[in-house]
Amino acid sequence: MIRLIGAALVAAGGAWLGLRAADGLRRRAVALRQMEAGLALLEQELELSASPLPRLMAWGAGHSQGPAAELFRGCAQGLDRLDRESFSALWRRLTAEREELGVEGQAVLLPLGDTLGRCDARRQREALSATRRRLEELAVRQEADSRRQGRAYQALGLSGGAFLVILLL
Amino acid sequence: MTRMTAAQSCEQAVQALPFRLRREALALSEEDKRRAEEFRLRVGWSMSVVLDGAERSLGGPPVRGEELEQLVEIASRASLHTVLDQVRRGYLTVEGGHRIGLCGTAVLQEGEIRSLRALSSANLRIARQVRGAAAPILDGLCPGGRLAGTLILAPPGLGKTTLLRDLIRSVSEGEGCAPLRVSLADERGEVAALYSGCPQLDVGWRTDVVEGCPKAQGLMLLLRAMNPQVLAVDEVTAPEDVKALMTAAGCGVTLLATAHGEGRTDLECRSLYRPLLEEGLFRFLVRIRREGERRVYMVEELST
Repeated sequence: MIRLIGAALVAAGGAWLGLRAADGLRRRAVALRQMEAGLALLEQELELSASPLPRLMAWGAGHSQGPAAELFRGCAQGLDRLDRESFSALWRRLTAEREELGVEGQAVLLPLGDTLGRCDARRQREALSATRRRLEELAVRQEADSRRQGRAYQALGLSGGAFLVILLL
Repeated sequence: MTRMTAAQSCEQAVQALPFRLRREALALSEEDKRRAEEFRLRVGWSMSVVLDGAERSLGGPPVRGEELEQLVEIASRASLHTVLDQVRRGYLTVEGGHRIGLCGTAVLQEGEIRSLRALSSANLRIARQVRGAAAPILDGLCPGGRLAGTLILAPPGLGKTTLLRDLIRSVSEGEGCAPLRVSLADERGEVAALYSGCPQLDVGWRTDVVEGCPKAQGLMLLLRAMNPQVLAVDEVTAPEDVKALMTAAGCGVTLLATAHGEGRTDLECRSLYRPLLEEGLFRFLVRIRREGERRVYMVEELST
């Protein structure tokens, strides 16, 4: 009986690992979509009111979700300490903290820190738009990966668990 | 509106400086902070302070180009797009009405300055309000208790803008004369220093300000839109300004203006200003003279 319970637990553990790996891929795609939506909001707000960056970031934080909200909130707070940390350094630091975006997502976002608040509104909107498009491409790729590899991870987890059960029994 | 001492104004102004330079500026004695007029930053040289017109190096490490960029970032609150028009004119106004002048390589587009890059130097001018500066001459300028058309004439650096600001404030508040609605065309933002729509220097509660637009256009806009009783402008420098003033005078508005010059003869000799005298736009001429640290004002009635 105990062996059976142990075998079931091992099988469930394997399946859980597979599902978790698949879920990680799905979450990354969601985070990238949320970031993309956040940048779209900034772009619109910049076009409508050309708000100063602190107000833009605070507004973005209040109207976005996930990593976008966190990143914009951190920026809005950090803009009070410009004498110690420039905005581009602040953006780089906070972007690197958003691990849910993955290395590729972070790499897409990083250059934006050198444009936001440093150019005329039109160039900032262009930079936001370009970053948003690259994030969208990345999100589409991640979603496809998530569907394809997610199934593979789930199957691997289940079959790995089953294999271990066979070995143990 | 908060009243500040001269030293407090200096401390407020240096908040725009990057951390290291701010520390250097704040290390000045209270007396030096009180007397400080400007901080000057030049790439490759120590920051210096201007005290009573004389420049003194603070002896710190040389200013770096990145520090000037940081200065602009702090002053614009990392929002260059909101102050680009000012940067194109070579300055930035920060909270408190303090002014940062900028120098560097101009980026031109169709012959117009589009922006500045590779900043080479900057100066931080501390805005100070001298309340009561106009009090000694108000009686003379307000026959029957109401302000008459007045032109303030002096060479640069003698305090024309300071006197104009206090005259506007006094008239707007009704201090020592009948209160009147004042409209101010503040092209360079030096009189009221608007920051997020709020004058950083007290120009009185009956004063409406248009900033950043050419004086002549600003005067006409105010005349059409704000129904002023007094129209004020700093530094009449172009024929269009004179023309706008003449139009305003034709509408029965009292004029308050400043101009560069030594005295009445100077006005009469210059073709730009001659029409102002010929048309009798101003009843009084105020000249400014420096006596030690003091300014002395002389009021002269202009006869047509």
